[in-house]
Amino acid sequence: MSQPRYVPLLYRVAAINAVLLATAVTLTVALLAPGKVSALAVDEEILVVLGAVALVVIANVYLLRRVVGPVQALTAFARQVDYSTLGQRIPDAEPTSEAGELALTFNQMLERLQAERRESTGRVLRAQEAERLRIAQELHDQVGQELTAVLLGLSRLSAQAPIGLEENVLAVQDVVRDSLEDVRRIAIELRPEALDDLGLPSALAVLADRFAQQLDLEIDEDLPLSLPRLASEVELVVYRVAQEALTNVARHSASSRAVLMLQCDLDRLLLVVRDDGLGLAPGHSPGTGMRGMRERAALIGAQLEIDNRPSGSGCEVRLEVPLEAEP
Amino acid sequence: MTCLAQPPTSEPTTSRDDPLAPTRLLVVDDHPAVRAGLRELLAGEADFHVVAAVGSAEAGMDIAKREPIDVAVVDYQLGGRNGLWMSRKLKRLPEPPAVLIYSAYTDGVLAAAAVVAEADAIVSKGRIGSDLCHEIRCAAAGARHLPAIPPRLGESLRRRLDHEEQAVFGLLLAGFDTAEVAGTLGLSPAGMESKLWELLRRLEGIPTPPRA
Repeated sequence: MSQPRYVPLLYRVAAINAVLLATAVTLTVALLAPGKVSALAVDEEILVVLGAVALVVIANVYLLRRVVGPVQALTAFARQVDYSTLGQRIPDAEPTSEAGELALTFNQMLERLQAERRESTGRVLRAQEAERLRIAQELHDQVGQELTAVLLGLSRLSAQAPIGLEENVLAVQDVVRDSLEDVRRIAIELRPEALDDLGLPSALAVLADRFAQQLDLEIDEDLPLSLPRLASEVELVVYRVAQEALTNVARHSASSRAVLMLQCDLDRLLLVVRDDGLGLAPGHSPGTGMRGMRERAALIGAQLEIDNRPSGSGCEVRLEVPLEAEP
Repeated sequence: MTCLAQPPTSEPTTSRDDPLAPTRLLVVDDHPAVRAGLRELLAGEADFHVVAAVGSAEAGMDIAKREPIDVAVVDYQLGGRNGLWMSRKLKRLPEPPAVLIYSAYTDGVLAAAAVVAEADAIVSKGRIGSDLCHEIRCAAAGARHLPAIPPRLGESLRRRLDHEEQAVFGLLLAGFDTAEVAGTLGLSPAGMESKLWELLRRLEGIPTPPRA
């Protein structure tokens, strides 16, 4: 933090007060008391007056510091506040002084900023999900169906193809088959169909199953028997966080095992993804995936913690979603 | 790939008197190009006869009620009612055809739901060209061929059912037919029928009702 390029308020007020005081004392002594001060004792008297002035100036600085202190604290807080972390507020903001009013106003502004930010993040994420859904459906309903039709046509061709050409047709058929498989995979990644069709626990089971098969990850699942009805936005956030966390395990942890746990109490839903791999490097900077998880969590008022496990091996992602009581 | 079971003594699900008569097929797919492609592919086989190719489950049911069908070849994802709904409906007909479902997604969840819907086979769209005719012949001969359900997924699905549903689901997975399951559990035909619809609804993922 750089030093301010101005004279701080405290010293300016203190200097003004000191100058005023000194002038007042000088004038008082010079105008009101000429002749009353003995000529011999002048040195001592000057010392006493100077001493009194100095004492008053020091007391002034001390009292001013107490008045200006909250403003400086406010500045320091405003510098380090993190707009994406929910619930950060200046403590003890009471409307008992101008500084207190300023702190209160600042807190209100912070609240408004965070609400606006949450809303705009929500809009972006909702738009993103809608777009993903549209692309996934388009892929499935258009590209997938057309590739299927091509595959059917090639099947008939291969039966009628002259000798020598049949193999070429079969080779083309393989390519189309692979594309169809790719289209299917991309569509599933874009939009977890299982979530709409099966609900959160089974969708997570399907997700874990896919990671197990495609990425050779062994996943211990601990999923609940059933869940109360959750807002689809909450389900989607939990699913996406689990997906991102498992992707990170597969990509970065160098671990081949992970735990996927979902617990539901009366007032909260807890998702834990844990591995026993390398863990986060000290001083790592969060990538887009992690930031995405945080933004999604903030959207539904959930707490997200990403940390190395206390036992020293591996990383743990915890998402805690507060649940509202049934209306 | 081979047909899994071909019981030599029991009557196949088809009702053909003449074993050399072509297998009568009903094709249901809501995508015109795929429907046309399937129709042409299947019509090219000497032992197949495509009775009709229609675009919706309801239209398919209308045909199946009027015309004898040996194998219904149905896309899982239709615009409205899906292939499993149609499978359950077809199996309630006096002379039910074999039902072959094809889908882009042939995962364990679909396989589990297909067991409850009494479908006879599931074919991935990626294999629709090469293996479809073979699978149709197997199904026409009375064989049942569904993908395996990963144990963990089966477990997670089972947990979402109540005790009686678990019993029904378990017996169906073990290969018993619905009449046997109803007999074993002492369910009336109507009770079994509603149980199966409920089970299908649950497996296809309507969320559980809110906690009381």
